[in-house]
Amino acid sequence: MKTTANPPASRLTIGLNKTKTFFSKPYNVILLLMGIVFTVTTVAPILAIIQDTLKIHPGTIDAHLTGQVSGYTLVNYIDLFTSRMAKTNLWTPLLNTLLLAVGTCIVSILFGGIVAFLVTRTNMAWRKYISSIFIFPYIMPQWTLAVVWQNLFNSNAVTGTSNGLLAALFGIERTMIWCKSLVPSQGVQGLHYAPFAYILIGGIFRNMDANLEEAATILDTPKWKIMTRITLPMVKPAILSTILLVFGSAMGSYPVPHYLGLSTLSTKYVSMNSKYTGEASILAIIMMIFGVAIMMLNQLSLTSRKNYTTVTGKSGQISKINLGKSGKYIIALILVILTFFPSLFPIVSFAVETFVPHPGDDSFLYTGDTSNLTTKWWVTSENVTENGMYGQKGILHNETIWHAFRGTIYVSVCCALLAGTIGTLVGYAVSKNRRSKWANYVNSMAFLPYLMPSLAVGAAFFILFSTEKLNLFNTYTLLIIVGTIKYIPFASRSSLNSMLQLSGEIEEAAIIQDIPWIKRMTRIIIPIQKSSIISGYLLPFMTCLRELSLFMLLCVQGFILSTTLDYFDEMGLYAFSSGINLILIITILVCNTLVNKVTGASLDKGIGG
Amino acid sequence: MKRIVAMLLVLCMALGLAACGQKAPEATAAPAAPAAPADTAAPAAPAEPVAEENLTETQKIIKEAQTMTLEELAKKAIEESNGKMFYGVGNSSRGKSALPLFIAYLQTIDPSYNMEFEWQQPKNNKIFDQLTADSLKDTGTFAMTLIQDGNQIESKMVQTGILDTFIPKDWAEANGTTAEEYKGFLALQTLNKVFMYNNTGSKTYDNCWDFVAEGEHGLYMDIDSEIVGKNFLYMLTEDTYAGWLKEAYNALPAEEQAYFQPTIKAMESEAADLGLGPDGAYALAWIKLLVEIYKAQTDYGPNCNTLVDKSATDQFGLLVYSKLRSVEESNSVSVNNVNVAAYTDGYQGIGGYGYCHYLFVTDNSPLPWTACAFIAYMTCTEDGFSAWGKDMGGYSSNPKVAEATENTRHHQTGGYVDGVSVYEAKNDRGYDWWTTDGKLVLEDPEYCASVAFTVGSWIEMLTKYSAG
Repeated sequence: MKTTANPPASRLTIGLNKTKTFFSKPYNVILLLMGIVFTVTTVAPILAIIQDTLKIHPGTIDAHLTGQVSGYTLVNYIDLFTSRMAKTNLWTPLLNTLLLAVGTCIVSILFGGIVAFLVTRTNMAWRKYISSIFIFPYIMPQWTLAVVWQNLFNSNAVTGTSNGLLAALFGIERTMIWCKSLVPSQGVQGLHYAPFAYILIGGIFRNMDANLEEAATILDTPKWKIMTRITLPMVKPAILSTILLVFGSAMGSYPVPHYLGLSTLSTKYVSMNSKYTGEASILAIIMMIFGVAIMMLNQLSLTSRKNYTTVTGKSGQISKINLGKSGKYIIALILVILTFFPSLFPIVSFAVETFVPHPGDDSFLYTGDTSNLTTKWWVTSENVTENGMYGQKGILHNETIWHAFRGTIYVSVCCALLAGTIGTLVGYAVSKNRRSKWANYVNSMAFLPYLMPSLAVGAAFFILFSTEKLNLFNTYTLLIIVGTIKYIPFASRSSLNSMLQLSGEIEEAAIIQDIPWIKRMTRIIIPIQKSSIISGYLLPFMTCLRELSLFMLLCVQGFILSTTLDYFDEMGLYAFSSGINLILIITILVCNTLVNKVTGASLDKGIGG
Repeated sequence: MKRIVAMLLVLCMALGLAACGQKAPEATAAPAAPAAPADTAAPAAPAEPVAEENLTETQKIIKEAQTMTLEELAKKAIEESNGKMFYGVGNSSRGKSALPLFIAYLQTIDPSYNMEFEWQQPKNNKIFDQLTADSLKDTGTFAMTLIQDGNQIESKMVQTGILDTFIPKDWAEANGTTAEEYKGFLALQTLNKVFMYNNTGSKTYDNCWDFVAEGEHGLYMDIDSEIVGKNFLYMLTEDTYAGWLKEAYNALPAEEQAYFQPTIKAMESEAADLGLGPDGAYALAWIKLLVEIYKAQTDYGPNCNTLVDKSATDQFGLLVYSKLRSVEESNSVSVNNVNVAAYTDGYQGIGGYGYCHYLFVTDNSPLPWTACAFIAYMTCTEDGFSAWGKDMGGYSSNPKVAEATENTRHHQTGGYVDGVSVYEAKNDRGYDWWTTDGKLVLEDPEYCASVAFTVGSWIEMLTKYSAG
């Protein structure tokens, strides 16, 4: 009897089989492709901007110092770091940038964290109202708060301008430190990012298991000790995440320091770009280095962090701290008043501004003369300048504004769809392969653009796409590419967090039933984590609507709403900018409400659902 | 199957990133000119004779166009651009208002003519990046540009061959010259920025040194935001204007001179180091004092909004004169709350700064004939200039157009109501007055470019006023 032994499989066959097995898993395919895409979209702009720092630009300092109009040189580095202007152009802006970022973190975490605690962990009154109203400053473009700040605190005696509202109505004149430069910049940015801290920290508070606190209470532990030894350590990961995210965002913010007269790396980038083009690119690289450092810190904090299980199956009950019968109303009232100024007052101020005859002329408030109000900023249908319209039609008839509005909606919808979908897939794929180094790499690369300052990302993509072969300046394509890359982390983090909560058994059961991957995704996984996934679409959409720092170098004013708004604000045409702000706020609120009604997801529930 | 679907899905999205959205606006006309060598030093002065064989296609067209009348150019434009798309880019938004008038003019020659257009107005100095990026294409997107800041135009746009000057025949004749003889850029208009102060208090400013006196903090658009504002400071170091500053200084009372004297003295060595003329120290002292005390504004609009408010007592600023035209009178806001410093009796010294909007054809223009015709239309006809001519404080470079505009618009009596001068500040005394009695400092692109890295770097070393 003959027996036939199977020949040993060749290395090639084994390799092929391994490859086949690897690619038979959709998440591997996603990870591989996305790894390549993210590497290109992250590394290529960085390389482009590095090249720009070495290039000689005609008519700029490098051409002057080298006596050449083309070629490459190190003179930009030498001049930036060693010239007499190093302090003005580099060190002072760098210091201011760090102080601004730190101050922003402190304000946002204190304000956002305390409100998050009060809303989620106490029996404070009017929690729903406060929760909804608190996210308004995050909806509004950040510099509009800066403009409101100026309109509120400026005074002839201190700032040497016309009187702002407080000086005109009550004779209150705040000191210069309060009106201009670092302190108001920190305050305004802090207020802008406080809702972000509220969303992140509130998410943990909301889902936190109360057993530990209850046990401590039973053991008669003082309340301060419970707070410092139990509650705060449990929210520490969220606070760390918030610090890193807010720090990264605040560093690259351009408009607030620009309006409030603070010299930072981003404002310096813009002001130096005409004459010190290569040196400005070095500033962008420095901002990027901070982005990378923040990412590494994030990784470090993830690995060194103590592991707290915040969501367990043991107890879903959250015991709420009793603030007392009157306490719950008093604290709520204080919060209502506090949130009025950053959340509602700007909206009232915007609305009023669109009815005053001359930008900043609030005289009807103290004269009581209502004939000093006008609807011209809304209804003027002709292009006239004699009635103080500065050659613009009224908002309702202004083609520039509505063209920009359509452009913004188009860019935001495309960015949200692309970033949301890609991010969701990345989150899914990483969660399925969480121990793989490649998955971690993909996850980090997807997250890196978010940590890089917006202005630096915009600058890098401008350089990358302003070449002979590929010239995309002032096109929606460019804005969508950049917006998508920048906002993928919203969706990938949201998706990853929710996918990690999902037991693998659910999908495995479907795999055993031989259910195709597409069906598993659309019928099982996505419906279960619908709320988080929709947040991953909603946040890019909302952020994109009011994004300026990222897009300002990539298109002209009139192309999208934020650049148009900035243009009108810079020109001092506050009625138009206020009208645009109102349009933006209404758009976001309508979208949020619609999504909330249809899906149950909501902005104030935030990342991770 | 599933892996194919997954792969396709991800690939689609990756490709979709690049494919979605609008395409970059592309020229619809046939390629006209090869790409300009962006990184090589190109012919400098526009009027310098260049050998015929070295001319680019656009330069050849310009050479021919300079011998043609507006009507002849219009016919060429109709031939070239009928039914096409015209992209222009400029620092002034009013190119957008001028283009429909130009199209209407072409339609008077050929009623069937039509042209789509888009006018872009970049901010934050982005126009130079935009034109540089566009110059890399064989055929550019932009047909022409209306651009300010002679310094950067000279060093970044003209010396690099990105922009070409076209001198319309009619314009040259009106100025008593020819395209060959004329040296320099073609200006559409000169705009003036003038010193104004709020008059609701008792303070007056009758000497330009008053603006940099102790305790003053004038409103000034940040010199880093608007480079034209920095050019003003460069120009002050030129001999003529430095001389004006010295004259004004000499007219000050002795006690006021005493305050400025140490600074002027300290600047003498700096002026020598920078190679400035005999009065350079006065210019540097004035610049130093201004930079160290001015309150930076984002634009001239906020300056104007502030100064015309009655609560801005004793404040002053430098602002674009035409802004006054858009002030709406109310309880607290009035043009009568401000005085134009140079109109004050006995005022001594510089009254403001005059700078130009220049017109250029891009060297890779997709529609060079149309660009030339449009430029000729704006500089040679009252209608063509009307988008700017309706404002005071902007003066056509064509004397005939300037005269016709004044006859129609009556800017010199712009503050009159029913024959009575009600708003004194709005009575624009005109270009001739401003450039003589009004002592307007005029931008000279070549001078600005020559001192950009000497005086310019010195200015950047100064510690700017910091409110905080």
